[in-house]
Amino acid sequence: MTTANFHPSDDILRDFAQGNVTTGMSVALSAHIELCSSCRTRSSELESESIMEWLKLEGDSEPDFSGMIDTITALPQLTTEPQINSAPVNSDDLAVSEIHMLDRSFTLPRVLARAASNGLKWNKLAGGINQAQVQIDNETQCEFLYMTPGSQVPVHRHQGNEVTLVLDGAFEDQFGHYGPSDFLVRNKRDQHQPSTEEGCLCFAVLDSPLTFTSGLARLFNPINNYRFRRATSQRF
Amino acid sequence: MNSIEEVTSKPAVESVKTDDGPSDEELLLAVGVSQDRRAFNLLFARFSKRIFAMGMKLTRNEQLAQDLVQEALMTVWTKAPLYDLDRGTAQSWIFTLTRNRCFDMLRKKKRQPQTISADDIWPQESDAEMSVVHEEQGSQAVEVAQIERLYEHLPDAQQAVIEQIYIFDRTHEEAAAELAIPLGTLKSRLRLAVAKLRTMIGVEQ
Repeated sequence: MTTANFHPSDDILRDFAQGNVTTGMSVALSAHIELCSSCRTRSSELESESIMEWLKLEGDSEPDFSGMIDTITALPQLTTEPQINSAPVNSDDLAVSEIHMLDRSFTLPRVLARAASNGLKWNKLAGGINQAQVQIDNETQCEFLYMTPGSQVPVHRHQGNEVTLVLDGAFEDQFGHYGPSDFLVRNKRDQHQPSTEEGCLCFAVLDSPLTFTSGLARLFNPINNYRFRRATSQRF
Repeated sequence: MNSIEEVTSKPAVESVKTDDGPSDEELLLAVGVSQDRRAFNLLFARFSKRIFAMGMKLTRNEQLAQDLVQEALMTVWTKAPLYDLDRGTAQSWIFTLTRNRCFDMLRKKKRQPQTISADDIWPQESDAEMSVVHEEQGSQAVEVAQIERLYEHLPDAQQAVIEQIYIFDRTHEEAAAELAIPLGTLKSRLRLAVAKLRTMIGVEQ
């Protein structure tokens, strides 16, 4: 297995361990952790730290909860693990556990296979990019991206944060070269132009829409903004 | 038996003994094994405020935080029979269960699609191993886990014998010498201990 060179920061991993990031971002982190043994170890250390912190918490003016005890202890106990929404992920009960692109195929990490379980609908975008959106939450835009060999994304800037997890192949921008399992974060100050020679499959999470900054691609901005607003309009 | 990776992937939280009372693990096992309400009351007192505090931090909403206390402690009660020491400390077990319940509660509240749940995002470390073990060895694995847990409930003298024979892999003679007891005593303690374990896990003689 290839080793990742770019990893999520401790801050992100800690927030993740505490359940304090959006679902979209959590999915990207969970997938990276499945692929990267050093982040698996690190996130479990940070989870342990979070638990120690949590144990020190002393609520001060909290309500009295003891009235709940009788209701709770009247419930029957379980003797086996419930299988509600957490049935084991078998490759055959998921619509998409592998993604095939040209002559390559790639087996998805479990959480991404689950995210893609309703099927993927690929759209062709400019510059040899294929995109398949998955609706994971109402706060982020999540998508699989496949850049065909030799393709280049128009220069763009991010209004918020964009996380990209490389699943297969490789791409580069002026900041570096990224291969399988790499996890990169771009924020709104970063303007970049990714390109790939060999082709690249990624999972990307945006917490606000992209803004293209050059040429005709700018025409895409209002459309993209609209789509993002629509995708994220169901906040409570 | 365990690879390094399995060991390091387990939460490394040391069990913290609060006050002078029983440890959180002892309480949780008592709730799971014998529906001990007194033990549950103690766990409730130790954890409800912490759970409320976590709920306030993640939801910033008092009503949701209260709901979380109810949901999380309900899960502690109903799932306690599934807890064993292989799953880490009681504290990390309750922490992850609370975080996961809170995550799913917020997703529901925000009307997010239900494709993904907290259990997909934080798969239980043991799931993958367990399912393989279960296919290969069926209920044996469950019994082994039970024995490891129940062994600690044996009288000290019997535990010492079991430890010599099954953990340090000594012969009966070596074990008797080590414990400075006659060979006959060792053998009868061993027999008693094994019989007691059998009864505890409900296996007929």
